Amino acid sequence: MAKVILKDIKKIYPHSGSSRKRSLFKRKKNEPEKKSNLQITDQGVVAVQSFNLAIEDNEFIVLVGPSGCGKSTTLRMIAGLEEITEGELYIDGELMNKVEPKDRDIAMVFQSYALYPHLTIRQNIAFPLTIEKVPKDEINQRVEQAAEILGITDLLERRPKALSGGQRQRVAIGRAIVREPKILLMDEPLSNLDAKLRTQMRAEIIKLHRRIDTTFVYVTHDQVEAMTLGDRIVIMKDGFVQQVGTPQEVFNRPRNIFVAGFIGTPQMNFFDAKIILEHKQYYLEFNKQKIALTDELNEKLAKTSVDTMDIILGIRPNHIQIGASDDDQVVEFEGKIEVAEMMGTEMHLHILVEDEEKTVVVQIADISEEQLAQLKEDNILKFGFDLSHSHFFDAETELRIQK
Amino acid sequence: MTMDKILKKWFPVFVIPTLAAFIIGFIWPFIQGVYLSFCQFTTVNNAVFNGITNYQKAFTDESFANAFGFTVKFAIVSTILINIIAFIIALALTSNLKGKNIFRTVFFMPNLIGGIVLGYIWQILLNALMSAIGQPLLALNSKAGYWGLIILMCWQQIGYMMIIYIAGLQNVPQSLLEAAKIDGASSLQTIFRIKIPMVMPSITICLFLSITNSFKLFDQNLSLTAGEPAKATEMLALNIVNTFYARAGAAWKGIGQAKAVIFFAIVIVIALTQLYATRSKEVDQ
Repeated sequence: MAKVILKDIKKIYPHSGSSRKRSLFKRKKNEPEKKSNLQITDQGVVAVQSFNLAIEDNEFIVLVGPSGCGKSTTLRMIAGLEEITEGELYIDGELMNKVEPKDRDIAMVFQSYALYPHLTIRQNIAFPLTIEKVPKDEINQRVEQAAEILGITDLLERRPKALSGGQRQRVAIGRAIVREPKILLMDEPLSNLDAKLRTQMRAEIIKLHRRIDTTFVYVTHDQVEAMTLGDRIVIMKDGFVQQVGTPQEVFNRPRNIFVAGFIGTPQMNFFDAKIILEHKQYYLEFNKQKIALTDELNEKLAKTSVDTMDIILGIRPNHIQIGASDDDQVVEFEGKIEVAEMMGTEMHLHILVEDEEKTVVVQIADISEEQLAQLKEDNILKFGFDLSHSHFFDAETELRIQK
Repeated sequence: MTMDKILKKWFPVFVIPTLAAFIIGFIWPFIQGVYLSFCQFTTVNNAVFNGITNYQKAFTDESFANAFGFTVKFAIVSTILINIIAFIIALALTSNLKGKNIFRTVFFMPNLIGGIVLGYIWQILLNALMSAIGQPLLALNSKAGYWGLIILMCWQQIGYMMIIYIAGLQNVPQSLLEAAKIDGASSLQTIFRIKIPMVMPSITICLFLSITNSFKLFDQNLSLTAGEPAKATEMLALNIVNTFYARAGAAWKGIGQAKAVIFFAIVIVIALTQLYATRSKEVDQ
């Protein structure tokens, strides 16, 4: 159990000697060198910047983002495996920047499990305790307790090689919890498992968090994992934090287009649109329709003091309905079905709207047989969505407009 | 017929050339050699069988026993020193040391010089040192001869073993070392509890090489001390050569041959024991 505070954390990976020479050489030849959008300064590549976060006692925090966004680097800085270039890290009020990993009272679970192949499972789990010179009886007792929590008691005398991926991951978690650390760090612990096992382990991690009083910091690239596990989610991109919030918050009120597109499957649809302000009334112009916004939306927009502007309108696939509607708050458009995927209780439609691909999720139970028969490839249908479900983003800054 | 079946049927045909070469070049001379150790001869054509007389003489030859004792002493000390120092250097050169590639090359270089030449170079160096500190020269100083051989062997072999240890250490997954770091292991604990167990395959091969090299040492022994003073620094291989060539009389060739067979058996037993002992400590990742 511990409070963790990250204050203005920054990580710069210095250029190695040879790469600097190479980049100078390349610049002379006018070859642009750009693999990611990470900022490159004279000191090196900036992997993480202005990272501010206060993690509460016993909280489950998930860092999520695409590869190269700096989430693992942040975790490794908390662990002490990477040096913090700038900023301050506090664990329980103590400055930890220069403290060795072993003195931070943390434990970590690695993606590759990192089990010691020459030791048995019992010795693996006991390793941190043996190092601490805990008495033998106590070690045995604690190892067996951890093994019981994770259901690996009958594996204790085997070696890691004889175990399956899921079992190895349990052992890795066992080795982490046996020390009763203040903070449990997990770096993509489920990424090497198959889909079924991943779902199962996810539930077990939730149960584990309930069972042991420890602050969890969890890194993943999988937004589903982030949504299901996290008390709060930190979404990162290109070294910057995009949004911090509960799963509900980031799903319902994404701060920008990146978060809106990253969280939720299938992905949110985006349309170009325009907001028009006339005599204190806001209108939405979309697909040659001009709709006066409801008082509620109007008020919200009035608070932000936006003027007439181009926006990007976001709508989640399950909020798009089939067919025309009389409701004056429903925006309509036409789309051609490209692919119809039957998922059982729902159907995913990939439709083409003015040469752009959008996704629609249809609940089979909500539509008539007649309508279902229409959902065939190459059919052109009318679709619509209620504006109350839509998200408005500034087309230029890509930031959310409604507060 | 599938390709597999064809190969299974005809593989003996393809093995014949190599097998023939192996039999002609190794197996047959080896059998002949073992047979000759039971004969009195000057050339292969005039060998006369004389039972185990050669072996009796070999075992009662005091110089052979002395050479064996000296060789064992030498092999134990040089193997330990070579491997410990090579491993320490490999540890240093796998850390974030500046210019580690240059160091690796420099440490490896002595291995490129032949044993005879090295022996002469070190003889000159050590004799100069001995005379400077007022001690008898190598030819009259068996203690200096022993340590001279050890220094020479270390100087030549450490670089080679270092390369094997570096390869082994680089194979230890980074995440394992990070896990150990987080689990609270100090760098010394990481070396003894993680790195050494993980490089067991390298240790096996390095121990095997250094033990057999030390036992079979000949060139360096010949050029540094030539067994002087009074055969006190004569090792097994040199003793065998001296028995075979340097003594008059038909009897000695057979005795030399018997010693060579004994020598072979000793090296095989020691090497296999060591391989078995260290192999059992290896783990698959």
